Amino acid sequence: MKEKVLSIINEIRAAKEMAPIASISAETKLREDLNLTSFDLAELTVKIEDEFDIDIFEDGLVSTVGEIFAKLEK
Amino acid sequence: MTFLFDNGKKYGYEDLLRALNEGITYYPYYKTSDVFSYFVNLIKALAASKPLVLLDSDINSSEIDGLDESRVNVAEPIVPASLQNMDEVVSAVQNSKSEITIFTSGTTGQPKKVVHSIATLTRAVRIGDRYKGQIWAYAYNPTHMAGLQVFFQAFENQNTLVNVFNQPREYVYQQIRDKGITHISATPTFYRLLLPYEQAYESVIRVTLGGEKSDQHLYDSIMKIFPNAKINNVYASTEAGSLFAAKGDCFQIPEAIKDKFKVVDDELLIHKSLLGSSDSFKFTDDHYHSGDLIEWVDEAQGLFRFKSRKNELINVGGYKVNPGEVEVAIQDIEGVRQAMVYGKANSILGNVLCADVVLEPGFELTELDIKKVLSSQLQDFKVPRRIKFVEEISLTRTGKMKRV
Repeated sequence: MKEKVLSIINEIRAAKEMAPIASISAETKLREDLNLTSFDLAELTVKIEDEFDIDIFEDGLVSTVGEIFAKLEK
Repeated sequence: MTFLFDNGKKYGYEDLLRALNEGITYYPYYKTSDVFSYFVNLIKALAASKPLVLLDSDINSSEIDGLDESRVNVAEPIVPASLQNMDEVVSAVQNSKSEITIFTSGTTGQPKKVVHSIATLTRAVRIGDRYKGQIWAYAYNPTHMAGLQVFFQAFENQNTLVNVFNQPREYVYQQIRDKGITHISATPTFYRLLLPYEQAYESVIRVTLGGEKSDQHLYDSIMKIFPNAKINNVYASTEAGSLFAAKGDCFQIPEAIKDKFKVVDDELLIHKSLLGSSDSFKFTDDHYHSGDLIEWVDEAQGLFRFKSRKNELINVGGYKVNPGEVEVAIQDIEGVRQAMVYGKANSILGNVLCADVVLEPGFELTELDIKKVLSSQLQDFKVPRRIKFVEEISLTRTGKMKRV
């Protein structure tokens, strides 16, 4: 599951011509560390939803990778 | 002269005349997948000035408000026409007092009911010697506006119709070859299904596009496939029938009905005198909101260009995206046969822009390839965030793309 989230993040970064990142941790911040905009975050939610059938932003903002993992592990 | 080729069967105008004089009944609500029987019933009703409700062969009463299922396919008496020849039939149809009810296909929402007279349905029909002997590919649903337009144009000139509606690519090409088709009128989606170019078909001399916005890439391909064809566009709607034809990549409002149009906030407004009648029409100062957004090229001459459909704009994080514009950009990429752009509900942006893409055989493109090309041409918010590669794109009853 963690690899899949990483690969989706790298897919989004690739479209913005940003280098792929090697790993993510629970503390990684989506906006500050990964430079994701609200459009990128929307894409992330759609692609995670395609993969895991869960809308990670459904009940409020998510700001770290750890919070995504927590939602997917429920 | 052959009236209709359908599904391996051939019907002459003499067969039509015989069928018209045969029965003493007709069906006011007729549901059939047999195109010949459908046309016989239509002409019978018109010639006798009887009302008629045109139903799709596969429609459920639950899809249409207020349709009484028990009336469907129930025959009613009619005075036998005793028409001697086709000229009499055509003249009876032209002078019909019938009320003809049709339904919008609705790329969005519930079908709307619209009542027409023969005058609004045949406003664009041209008759004369120069229209004789034409062989038409019949590429529209016969119960909807565009299909009726093509039918009346061909029928009133006693031309031949070759039914290719909803048929696969190979079948369409085979019919063009075998029947020597000279005229095709269809949606851009229909022509896209004929791509890529493999060989030229020289019998076709006229290609008409209607219904959706089309693009240069498609025109270029059509010109290769049909090198002898003149290409033109028509603007027709279920509400008003055919209103204006294209002039280059623009449309022109004819001088005679120029005062029947207004443009407010880029939207084309049509005076009610040009429309059929419907409870669902809402008028502002006797004008109907067409939902088509246009821009003037030369206002004094009535020349304009279509931009998009009003209700099709997708709100993405506060930005309005015209899906047609993005579709054109995707379809311009080599290897893409067809694209459909739509919004998917999203908790962050309201909608996320998504695209379904059909590739041409033998081409491989990734989501990233397409995004990169689009990023160089479009503003960021117009680039779809999810691109899915699909085998085919679902179509509405009239062959237009269905918005999700």
